[in-house]
Amino acid sequence: MSDVEAGRSGAPPLVVMEHITKRFPGVVANDDVSLELREREVHALVGENGAGKSTLMRVLYGMYSPDGGRILVRGQEVKSSSPRVAISLGIGMVHQHFVLVDPFTVTENVILGDENERVLDMDAAHERVGELAQKYGFVVNPRAVVEDLSVGEEQRVEILKVLYRGVDVLIMDEPTAVLTPAEAKELFANLRQLREAGKSIVFISHKLDEVLEIADRITVLRRGKVVGETTPARTSKAQLAEMMVGRPVLFRLEKPDVEIGETVLQLDELHGEGKLNGLSLEVHSGEILGVAGVEGNGQRELAEAVIGLRRPSGGRVVLNGTDITGEHVQAIRNLGVGYIPEDRHEQGLVLNMTLWENAVLGQHDDEPYSSRWGVLSLRTIKELASRLVQLFDVRARSIDVTAGTLSGGNQQKLILARELETDPKLLVASQPTRGLDVGAIEFVWRQILEQKAAGRAVLLISAELDEIYALSDRIVTVYEGRITGEYPPDAPPEEVGRGMLGDVAAEVT
Amino acid sequence: MATVAAPVEKVRPPWVSNLGGQLFSVLLAFVVALFIGALIIIGYGENPLTVYGTLVRFAFKDVDSFGYVLQIATPLIFSALAIAVCFKGGLFNIGVEGQYLVGMLTASWAALTFDFLPGPLLMWTALLFAMLGGMIWAAIPAVLKVKTGAHEVVTTIMLNGIAVNLLGWALNGPLKYRQEGGQVAARTANFKDNALVPDLGHLFGMRESVHLSWLLPLGFVAAAIVWFVIRRMRLGYEARAVGSTPGSARAGGISVGAVQIKLFMLSGALAGLIGMQQLLADKGYLPVNFVSQLGFTGIAVAFLGQNNPVGIVAASVVWGVLSRGESALQLETDVPREFVIILQGILILSVMVIYQITRRRLARRQLQAAAVVEQVPEAA
Repeated sequence: MSDVEAGRSGAPPLVVMEHITKRFPGVVANDDVSLELREREVHALVGENGAGKSTLMRVLYGMYSPDGGRILVRGQEVKSSSPRVAISLGIGMVHQHFVLVDPFTVTENVILGDENERVLDMDAAHERVGELAQKYGFVVNPRAVVEDLSVGEEQRVEILKVLYRGVDVLIMDEPTAVLTPAEAKELFANLRQLREAGKSIVFISHKLDEVLEIADRITVLRRGKVVGETTPARTSKAQLAEMMVGRPVLFRLEKPDVEIGETVLQLDELHGEGKLNGLSLEVHSGEILGVAGVEGNGQRELAEAVIGLRRPSGGRVVLNGTDITGEHVQAIRNLGVGYIPEDRHEQGLVLNMTLWENAVLGQHDDEPYSSRWGVLSLRTIKELASRLVQLFDVRARSIDVTAGTLSGGNQQKLILARELETDPKLLVASQPTRGLDVGAIEFVWRQILEQKAAGRAVLLISAELDEIYALSDRIVTVYEGRITGEYPPDAPPEEVGRGMLGDVAAEVT
Repeated sequence: MATVAAPVEKVRPPWVSNLGGQLFSVLLAFVVALFIGALIIIGYGENPLTVYGTLVRFAFKDVDSFGYVLQIATPLIFSALAIAVCFKGGLFNIGVEGQYLVGMLTASWAALTFDFLPGPLLMWTALLFAMLGGMIWAAIPAVLKVKTGAHEVVTTIMLNGIAVNLLGWALNGPLKYRQEGGQVAARTANFKDNALVPDLGHLFGMRESVHLSWLLPLGFVAAAIVWFVIRRMRLGYEARAVGSTPGSARAGGISVGAVQIKLFMLSGALAGLIGMQQLLADKGYLPVNFVSQLGFTGIAVAFLGQNNPVGIVAASVVWGVLSRGESALQLETDVPREFVIILQGILILSVMVIYQITRRRLARRQLQAAAVVEQVPEAA
């Protein structure tokens, strides 16, 4: 560690985790993991889902007690473990899923559980919270009610909650998973300011670009073990990915050369609920059309209008020459449309049902899976599920476990397997790799490219420009429910970025 | 593509694999409830063993006693099943109460109107009309929910009130019993004998005052049908999907509204049969002081049976044992009869709490097992 700046290496490390081992029945989640956190640093902890990042941090935060190893904070060994002890030692955690009381104000949420007086002096509390926010450059109104806040603002409230308790170490579990790119930028600015103010931050992520941007040091975990420690200057995205996954990962896949054919999907002047404002586009067979845009510009409504979950108030949805506007989901599916929803827990899987029950969803009322009398054929359904699980390498103990026990990547594989099983003529893929780690992203991308190779049409909706560029044959940008530009796959990102922000670009053909 | 098969291990579905654990947790819940109950009994200066002994003795001392228990359990089976069917689809049908009252009304009307029907045909007609009545009363909240989004809890509570008054009106109007000589009573006329459900108790040598009827086996059949519908049929599959994740169900092409209406219909049909024990087995007419509240008791029994058809049958019998012991407590001990209601409440609470704990443990174990499999190295 000689290359660390001299000024920083002089101080003793703030937190030392030595040889931490944490076992769960049948799993070693952390296997002899050691980690050092210094003052004023952003320390990224990267690894695939299930690599043990969150477990390690929960050990540090006192939620789990380790089976082996020890933790030193400012040179003192920590004996007992509980979040209360952790906070008193200056260690706080911002969880991936927010735990805020929606009808409360920002201040009420921040002081919740830490109110010192019986009768609350709210004005003073507002002032304290306002000062705290100002000190670290957080743009948030202490008197605002949480339910009116954006996701990015809610996250700031979560961070303020932790800071209010006077911590020096902030553990952030996948903080950008729920943020738009712009919100992520703002978060990074906040984190830098916190670092300047003397805080140390543990940043758990599997988004490598972000890690390289924000981290001072990076520790990579794979299957519960530390596989390396590095700094952004000494490594690269490809190298980090290889460390995480254990094999080289391709970030650019070969696009199959397929002749682009007839129009499969045509959207004419779609309107709806103020979210779609005259959106028109076409997707052809053998083509992947990438719809780029900042989230919340009508992408969700667009996807739902195509699959039939939402009836547009105006305009037409035409599939292979047939007007399907306002048809029922089942009818549209039967015409050959597959759907990968942006939220796999809300629109993809039923988490407390088994893999086989999920595998047949959408086909469950077709022969041979259910009879004319409405009796399910468990045998054929389970055969289908076993085949899909094997084909798409869904890692599960059995098809009888519930879908909720799978990791995000395996859940997405299951959805892909199910949606592609019917050989759809059109695949609507909405944020198909959200929350997935690099290995799984590569898998999903390959599958989408395979659809193209088979001459099918793909409507790819993504907020990740990387993904749009990696897959699309043609790119359109969506802004406030309208298409603002069309670009070839080699258009400069700045140009596409302008379209995403609403500048109507010159039509490129 | 790497097609390394995950080590496929035989895993039974969670509800089977943990059968032993479930039985254990139910037993544990009983022990806890009885223990807390014992503290209350001691508070009354009684010996818990004596009190519990009285409860058990009254239910099992002879075949007649157990007959009474089963007689109490019979309507509860239908009631709890009606609750459970809707519950599986995420619906809370508080209106089982009103649906069974209307079922009694339509069944009475049918039994009196179609009295020319020969043999058991009249009984079956009455049962059919009981189910129809329940279904009509269930259709109202179902359609209101699907078409306007009106919440079923609110609408069914309202409809329960209407149902009570509808019965009152009918007993004073169209169904009023006019005896020869101008004497009137607020009740219907007696049904003909072939409208009644045949007695089952005498086969086991039970006394005539025990009205154990063929409705009990019908309840078992209903439980089996509900199990089959929920676990083996498309409707049950769709209901469970709608009940836990409506968005995913809709995206899978399921018509949420259609499923909800079907569930309400099934629930209403079951609810219609609740009143048949008193109408066609106990009384043979509809009295003005008809037994109500069975629809609400069904909610408690469904909870106790964890909305599982087998559990519901068992819970109904347990409920019968406790209810049967109510009057015995007053006669033979210093503990007030209301103690039974307290005990029933404690029992439901402890079942729910302990069941939740074991379920969480199970879920955690499953997650950990799943994590092991996911860490299987990829094919080289």
